[in-house]
Amino acid sequence: MVKFTAEELRRIMDYKHNIRNMSVIAHVDHGKSTLTDSLVAAAGIIAQEVAGDVRMTDTRADEAERGITIKSTGISLYYEMTDESLKNYKGERNGNEYLINLIDSPGHVDFSSEVTAALRITDGALVVVDCVEGVCVQTETVLRQALGERIRPVLTVNKMDRCFLELQVDGEEAYQTFQRVIENANVIMATYEDPLLGDVQVYPEKGTVAFSAGLHGWAFTLTNFAKMYASKFGVDESKMMERLWGENFFDPATKKWTSKNTGSATCKRGFVQFCYEPIKQIINTCMNDQKDKLWPMLQKLGVTMKSDEKDLMGKALMKRVMQTWLPASTALLEMMIFHLPSPSTAQKYRVENLYEGPLDDQYAASIRACDPEGPLMLYVSKMIPASDKGRFFAFGRVFSGKVSTGLKVRIMGPNYVPGEKKDLYVKSVQRTVIWMGKRQETVEDVPCGNTVALVGLDQFITKNATLTNEKEVDAHPIRAMKFSVSPVVRVAVQCKVASDLPKLVEGLKRLAKSDPMVVCTIEESGEHIVAGAGELHLEICLKDLQDDFMGGAEIIKSDPVVSFRETVLERSCRTVMSKSPNKHNRLYMEARPMEDGLAEAIDDGKIGPRDDPKVRSKILSEEYGWDKDLAKKIWCFGPETTGPNMVVDMCKGVQYLNEIKDSVVAGFQWASKEGALAEENMRAICFEVCDVVLHADAIHRGGGQIIPTARRVFYASQLTAKPRLLEPVYLVEIQAPEQALGGIYSVLNQKRGHVFEEMQRPGTPLYNIKAYLPVIESFGFSSTLRAATSGQAFPQCVFDHWDMMSSDPLEAGSQASQLVTDIRKRKGLKEQMTPLAEFEDKL
Amino acid sequence: MDFESNYDIAASAQFIHTHNFTRVALQFPDNLLKDSTRVVTALRKRLQSLKEIDATESGHETDVGLFVMADTAYGSCCVDEVGASHINADCVIHYGHTCFSPTTTLPSFFVFGKASICIADCVESMSKYALTNSKPIMVVFGLEYAHSMQQIKEALLESSVSCRFDPKPDVHFADFPSSVMFPSKDIKKIKGLQEPASGCNDENGTTYSIGGLTWKLPEGQSMDDYLLFWIGLDDSAFANVVLTFNTCEIVRYDANENQVVTDLFQQRRILKRRYYLVERAKDANIVGILVGTLGVAGYLHIINQMKELITAAGKKAYTLVMGRPNPAKLANFPECDVFLYVSCAQTALLDSKEYLAPVITPFEAMIAFNRGSQWTGAYVMEFRDLINLPQMEVGDQEEEARFSFLKGGYIEDFENQENLSENVGEEREVLALVNATEKALQLRNNSNALMKGNARSGAEFLANRSYQGLNMPSDNASPEPYLIGRRGRASGYEDEKNKQT
Repeated sequence: MVKFTAEELRRIMDYKHNIRNMSVIAHVDHGKSTLTDSLVAAAGIIAQEVAGDVRMTDTRADEAERGITIKSTGISLYYEMTDESLKNYKGERNGNEYLINLIDSPGHVDFSSEVTAALRITDGALVVVDCVEGVCVQTETVLRQALGERIRPVLTVNKMDRCFLELQVDGEEAYQTFQRVIENANVIMATYEDPLLGDVQVYPEKGTVAFSAGLHGWAFTLTNFAKMYASKFGVDESKMMERLWGENFFDPATKKWTSKNTGSATCKRGFVQFCYEPIKQIINTCMNDQKDKLWPMLQKLGVTMKSDEKDLMGKALMKRVMQTWLPASTALLEMMIFHLPSPSTAQKYRVENLYEGPLDDQYAASIRACDPEGPLMLYVSKMIPASDKGRFFAFGRVFSGKVSTGLKVRIMGPNYVPGEKKDLYVKSVQRTVIWMGKRQETVEDVPCGNTVALVGLDQFITKNATLTNEKEVDAHPIRAMKFSVSPVVRVAVQCKVASDLPKLVEGLKRLAKSDPMVVCTIEESGEHIVAGAGELHLEICLKDLQDDFMGGAEIIKSDPVVSFRETVLERSCRTVMSKSPNKHNRLYMEARPMEDGLAEAIDDGKIGPRDDPKVRSKILSEEYGWDKDLAKKIWCFGPETTGPNMVVDMCKGVQYLNEIKDSVVAGFQWASKEGALAEENMRAICFEVCDVVLHADAIHRGGGQIIPTARRVFYASQLTAKPRLLEPVYLVEIQAPEQALGGIYSVLNQKRGHVFEEMQRPGTPLYNIKAYLPVIESFGFSSTLRAATSGQAFPQCVFDHWDMMSSDPLEAGSQASQLVTDIRKRKGLKEQMTPLAEFEDKL
Repeated sequence: MDFESNYDIAASAQFIHTHNFTRVALQFPDNLLKDSTRVVTALRKRLQSLKEIDATESGHETDVGLFVMADTAYGSCCVDEVGASHINADCVIHYGHTCFSPTTTLPSFFVFGKASICIADCVESMSKYALTNSKPIMVVFGLEYAHSMQQIKEALLESSVSCRFDPKPDVHFADFPSSVMFPSKDIKKIKGLQEPASGCNDENGTTYSIGGLTWKLPEGQSMDDYLLFWIGLDDSAFANVVLTFNTCEIVRYDANENQVVTDLFQQRRILKRRYYLVERAKDANIVGILVGTLGVAGYLHIINQMKELITAAGKKAYTLVMGRPNPAKLANFPECDVFLYVSCAQTALLDSKEYLAPVITPFEAMIAFNRGSQWTGAYVMEFRDLINLPQMEVGDQEEEARFSFLKGGYIEDFENQENLSENVGEEREVLALVNATEKALQLRNNSNALMKGNARSGAEFLANRSYQGLNMPSDNASPEPYLIGRRGRASGYEDEKNKQT
């Protein structure tokens, strides 16, 4: 039952005020995809009857199997508003037809990169919260992300059916629960007050909160009921809305509204009296098959059922009745259309977040105005594997101008620098496609404000990119997305049959393209490494790799590998010296740990090699207590010239020092990438060049003499400064009922984790536990935890920080030294660490 | 083992005498240099006696000059033809371990040396191994054991007869080369491209040759059907065998320890490590070609081929001649992202862990720089095989940004960009210098831009350095006052010694 065609859709794409781009975000298992399906059902792609059972947006077999969403999916929906319902709409509009570009995103933390990508190309978000579980960890995370991108949220309290069928709570209790859910969400949103975005909190009485039962396909906002009662009470709709929420009570006996419960038995809260109770009544009648009572009630509500539907019994009947009375699509779509911004509204304030270039150039102006006649600005946020193997659709949003089939576009990759040729291609778009769940429809062109999929550019787009017209050479790219998770879990993969290597290589390339969070690299030892955000993420990736990208060729994967960092605990016990191969040059050096927080500041880019030295020295002296002059003598950062280690020149009056600087820097990049302990990256080490003796003849102090020597002296100073290993640590958040706590604690203890926060959720028996857990211990953590708590606890792990391991890797038999040996073995190095004596020389 | 036979004095004297060589270069590796004088004396004595016999027959008399060559500039396994031509030698006698690379101009005689081996034990472990495996066995060996191969064969035959092994162990032996090599024939081999690659088909089978050893397999069989049994040390010749036949199962019999080593994990690792280096090389912009031999036939051809390859891949090549490379020497060229070491098969594998930039072989370069070529695991080391290597299958790859496994993402190659406007590559270098001078005039707030892999030519690299050589003389041209410098030795100058005490 397709209600619309591609042509119809294309026509409304031009009405930029009638478009809503929105994503559905929530904690895992709060019912995003199910709810989305009822919307899709209304827009007519699948038959109304199966909505709720078939998860339309979970296009992958494994998604259906696991019952979770893995990839975000975009769908364009078409909805026609009635004049009547639009009469209160104040904003600009072109007619009654609306186009909603909806993106359903995954809720599991391992896939939050998908959420990031979805948020970038939408303007509004439907936040789904389970009415029983309330605001959870991931709800909070995605809300933060959304507000950071200036996405306006609306809320739906989902799984209402649980209240009626499962828990059977009474009206007042239910109201309190809903109220708390909304309050919790508002607390988070309030911290993101943004003058341009305005008030982002949600209020049921303003219609920005819906109440839904995704599984049964019904939902309502207070608007629905307010409309119904407004005429009956003879008051204004908006007045009625206010009465339906908050401290407004009605006593049918006296027919009076009060702001306090009068204590009389018939006095009930407005919401309970007029919304909750009627629904409860209908549901109960349906469930008890009291059809003789039901039909008159329905008639009163103006709901007419088809004759064949009248034969339904019990739950099926209830579902049918509720869907007819309060269809989820009407309530939700109308809420979105009323309260979420159109592209032309949203881009006015989002342009600052989006555009990297000057905000007064023509591109910024065109984005701001959402001008279809302006220059093309299109952001590709993800690559979607196409049905023919190995090819991808580039999926993104047009922010200004139009993209059309055959158009020649400039592709600016993430490393593009305006004015240079790096990461820049000019190619033609083969086809422009709009995405509708399982179907793709080709259209001639797509104007700004819409999402679009492009064919034929996949070879030139790595993960995301900005597209402009061929001739727009002075356009700056749209700002790259910032991901909240990082790929910390790694496995080594190899193919079972050696001759499949080319397939593996090709497969890894495709995998890297399909997922912005996967990193495919190669180790020094020649092993292919796949890194992902978490265990589940990796599992899915490897499955994709084998089945989709390698055509089923078998692969062998290693146990998860965790990368460590090397650091130092104290200042070197003495100044160490190394001589160059010709013995004519000597470098003297000491290592010391960086001040607390400095390494993190470098990670975050607050301090870096490209800073103005004056600014850098100011930060270093004020926040980290460095000497002002010293801060100006930083030679370099490393590894990769930006890492969290540095070399500082402490020499006084050394001749030719400027000549060897480049060589020392080269040696440092090398040494800081492969530390002396286990060739892991160094972290938070500050090396001080204390003194240098150089040969008077330039040829004897060239790179060949200095680079290897510098490397040796870096190692020597690291080894004399109490070297330590740093291990990555997850922040784990677990939500569980009280009786599961014992199990959680024992599993955490056994896995070297420790709890640092335990909080009861007000009004629920649920506890929120926050703990630190070493990544290396986290493999199999979820399943152990589930087993220990009989499935009541569900952890979410996010990389949090590097933690120093207290044992001494230089002491034989210690835990750290065992770890070092294991790493060295895995990398194919000599199992024994190179002793200090090989790095240090004596006079 | 007695000295004369170990150094093959009789045979080498015969070789010199029959070909009437008058100026003979004796090439010793460092570890045998101590015996060189004794060898010369013995050889001279033997030649004298041959000459006397000769003189009585024909009356003709010539004087033979013997020259000892030591400290070869490149690997001591190759014949040092350049060294030999310094003394105008007309032949070379090579002592010690050799890679048996063909020579270009001089005839040579190889003395492998004779290492001791316990034949009984070797045969026992060989037959034991043969019995536990169903596949036939191919015996390959270090050339220093070539002298005992005949005995081993016989002993094996004897043992199999006496013990009545039910299925007779299926053991084949590789043929070892004759100790004499003439260049003329080998040149033909290189120019006439029809002759052997490491596996070459003729009417009745496939001939394999590696490091001087040759063997023939009947038609329809490949090396994958055989097990390799190596007799000898874990040296570069063995590494070469392991790499070339990396799909075969290989065991090594260590003649010193008298035991079979089956765990070749470390050797297998080499292949993976080389694979990593290939990936590294793909990301390189500047390639330094190290000339590691001036003797192995075909080296010039390879160097030219490599240069073309590198240029075609849009990278910059510099050719460096520096003798045997070591980390300190190569670190003098920090602008090179990767070094390509053109040398004989057995010295080419340098474990580049200690080197600032990886060192790869010409075969690896072919994989790395031929866009779209894929490595299936085959490995070729010798020049003559490389030259004969069919043009790498480059599938009809669509134009695509290249994936770098080091950076874990797609990166673009400069060639793609250069296709957009022609001749950019040519201009680039000129422009780099122009830009450098331009930059010098501007204020730079940061000079830490030295990042390997960014520069595309030596000039660009220089432009990014913070120190670019001596500064132009400043205004103050008046001579500096005379100063007294440091005294003493580098291990601790005089003033420092005082400080220490």
